[in-house]
Amino acid sequence: MLVINENKIADFLKALEKEYKVYDNRQHPPYGGLTAKKYFFPPVEETFVSEKKGSLKTTKFAEKFVVFGLSIPQLEALTYLDEIMTKPAEDFFYWQRRGNSIVVGLIKEEPDALPGGDIVFVDLGDGNFKILKNTEKGEELIKKYKSYFAEVADAPSKVTDPGMSEWSKTMRDILLDAELLANAVEWSKNHKIWEEMATTCLGCGVCTYVCPICHCFSVEDKIDLTGKCSRCRKWDACTLPDFAKIAGGHDFRPTIKERYYNWFYHKFVRGYKEYGKPQCVGCGHCKKYCPASIDILEILKTILGDYKKSQIQI
Amino acid sequence: MTKPKVAIYDFTDCEGCEVKLVSLRERLLLLENKIDIVNWRLGQERFDAGPYDVTIIEGTPITDYEVDLLKDLRKNSKVLIALGACAALAGVPGIMPEKDRKFWYEKIYTAQYRPRGVDAVPLSAYVPIDFAIHGCPVDEDEVVKAMEELLSGKTPTYSGNSTCFDCKQAGNKCRIRDEEKPCLGPITQAGCKAICVTGGSPCYGCFGIRKEANISALIKKLKTITDEKTIERYLTMFHSRTKEVNDGKK
Amino acid sequence: MENIYEPKFVKITEIKQQSPTVKSFRLEPTGFFNFDKNDDGSVFYPGQFLLVGNVGWGESAFGIMSAPHEDKSIEIMVRAAGRVTNYLHSLKEGDKITIRGPYGNGFPIDFYRGRDVVMVTGGCGIPPIAALIEYIINHRSEYGKVYLLYGAKSPEEVLIKDKLEEWRQHDINVIVTIDKAVPGWTGHVGFVTDLIKEIHIDKKNVGVAMCGPGPMMNAIEKIIRPLGIADRNIFVNMERKMQCGVGKCQHCTCGDKYVCMDGPVFNFDEIDKAWDQ
Repeated sequence: MLVINENKIADFLKALEKEYKVYDNRQHPPYGGLTAKKYFFPPVEETFVSEKKGSLKTTKFAEKFVVFGLSIPQLEALTYLDEIMTKPAEDFFYWQRRGNSIVVGLIKEEPDALPGGDIVFVDLGDGNFKILKNTEKGEELIKKYKSYFAEVADAPSKVTDPGMSEWSKTMRDILLDAELLANAVEWSKNHKIWEEMATTCLGCGVCTYVCPICHCFSVEDKIDLTGKCSRCRKWDACTLPDFAKIAGGHDFRPTIKERYYNWFYHKFVRGYKEYGKPQCVGCGHCKKYCPASIDILEILKTILGDYKKSQIQI
Repeated sequence: MTKPKVAIYDFTDCEGCEVKLVSLRERLLLLENKIDIVNWRLGQERFDAGPYDVTIIEGTPITDYEVDLLKDLRKNSKVLIALGACAALAGVPGIMPEKDRKFWYEKIYTAQYRPRGVDAVPLSAYVPIDFAIHGCPVDEDEVVKAMEELLSGKTPTYSGNSTCFDCKQAGNKCRIRDEEKPCLGPITQAGCKAICVTGGSPCYGCFGIRKEANISALIKKLKTITDEKTIERYLTMFHSRTKEVNDGKK
Repeated sequence: MENIYEPKFVKITEIKQQSPTVKSFRLEPTGFFNFDKNDDGSVFYPGQFLLVGNVGWGESAFGIMSAPHEDKSIEIMVRAAGRVTNYLHSLKEGDKITIRGPYGNGFPIDFYRGRDVVMVTGGCGIPPIAALIEYIINHRSEYGKVYLLYGAKSPEEVLIKDKLEEWRQHDINVIVTIDKAVPGWTGHVGFVTDLIKEIHIDKKNVGVAMCGPGPMMNAIEKIIRPLGIADRNIFVNMERKMQCGVGKCQHCTCGDKYVCMDGPVFNFDEIDKAWDQ
């Protein structure tokens, strides 16, 4: 098997810098909770420019970059996001960045199936990382930088702790029965827990910013002081007040209760109906960064418990 | 096309927001190509009388004369803009609780002093304002954004995002979650680039309370990490005169 | 890769003041681009919408009101209510703006075929209904009795008056009502819901098409259901906030449906369950 020694990772990344911009996702903070999503779908991104009347230029992005050090949930999330940005139609602006990128995972446990990314480094616990190649792009990169890698005899991993929190493990167990989860969340629309959330959730949008899959955006246009017209897209959050408000002022989701429920509904019901799986990978970011300390696992447990009880009564 | 006539006035404040206008530098020159600043006490020696197309007012009136001037400016301006926290929220001058004022007057100026001042309140308490550029001080980009929108014939709009949006992009730790310190970021409008939190200070909400913010929920949360007196201090730094905040405390 | 967000330029060839706050715009393609044609030669299906605007100003969704088989130009109607609509109102004939689309599913013209059709709308909800009527007129023998119930606040708020007259010549029962009586108005007075007795249809073989503000939709309970028409035969053109038009941005979602892609036309049976206030 092909491995890289932990002492060589820094050199490898340094070497990559000659050809690519390298984002090392292990440094955390300074990222404040934003995931690798921001490299492919930035918080604010210019899309079109019109410098004179009747002309239009698409803002191009050509920089090649490497994102290094994604965990299993983060790699899975990226795979989900790729799918969302491909079906039913390809999102040009996402793919012009994603297409230019090489994603390298860094995980503690060899998975049954590759969770995503172009290359995955699996920690063997003996100072070496096993190299798994997921795409042609990844394979080429390894070939090109082969001096950093060594061929060694197959050996089992010595890692005992896969480095996933209990919270994540429980959450990922719940996510496995996506259909039950979808039914329960759909059933819970009038559950009193959403009333409670309306008095707890600050509606600040942090959960959606730090979520590796959330992808709501709004479009903003401006005309600057030189007369240049431009359009940009900007992350939006379904918990914010203007999200479903139309010109004239009617708001289809007027309070935090409906907005917060909609966030769950999208993740666990609409997402499931659309792509066959919930739009959640159990990374725990929303819980970790919520200023109001909302724990989605607790909410889901309550809903699932009550849903199961209600089904038995029938 | 004639350039819109713009007047810049100031009432009681530190004039920091006007300094921010000057610090637009090249962009102020670009702006000058598009507008005609016909009256600006701090920036030039031209003081044309109204009417004006746009009047930008910094600071809050604290004498009857200033209140009358404000009303006069409203009558003489198509668009009236509040510049900075003092004009938009009453800001720092608004901190003083009315009941404490008599005590401090006596202590500082002796019992013989006959005060002429009126309470510091937001401009909107006297006249309708068309838009507020928030901040203590304002952010240059926000000033330019408002001007761009007005110049292209749009009605300026407030950001729907919270300061957390800026704070996350700045890569900060969350004060509330990671440091268990109070912060008004979640209920405050974005636009400041989270400059205070980045510099190690809390957010006191100078950018204005964002639309439909869940203030009572934030207070509920803050009570789990600090005492009521501290919360009150945070909420009155800029918002002792903000109705939503006072309602949220109940 | 084709860019789903890239708008195309069109020229405004005609602007008509339809009411004090409403203008209609006729738009023609510019440069090398032409409207894509469907198999039946139409350039859109009635009920589909366009995102119209300009870079620097933004885009808004508008139902297309011209005849679907008119392939040289299309027409939209704009009420000045927000940033984009005010901008459109400020334009002159000859100015260029951008469009994307047509998007959405449109009214089920095949379902309506061979049936009586009742259309109900109010205020600014007329454009997609107008396109549907134009389509039916173009295939008049394939459809049964056609009613248009159209409510407006006042006589000057009645839009496309010339069209209404023209449609009557093609065996369309156009019934207009205004909210309050004014001197000189000889037509109906009251809400659309009061027009129930004017309709004589085969309730077993009828389709309904609706478009209009929320309260109008509620009124449906008072008029269409009492006529004995099943919910699944009622089709509603819905309005939601839209940004991308292609199912990405999540603004227009309504339950598990995207108004931009699964709609904007839904049958009432679907809506009842997914309708989130």
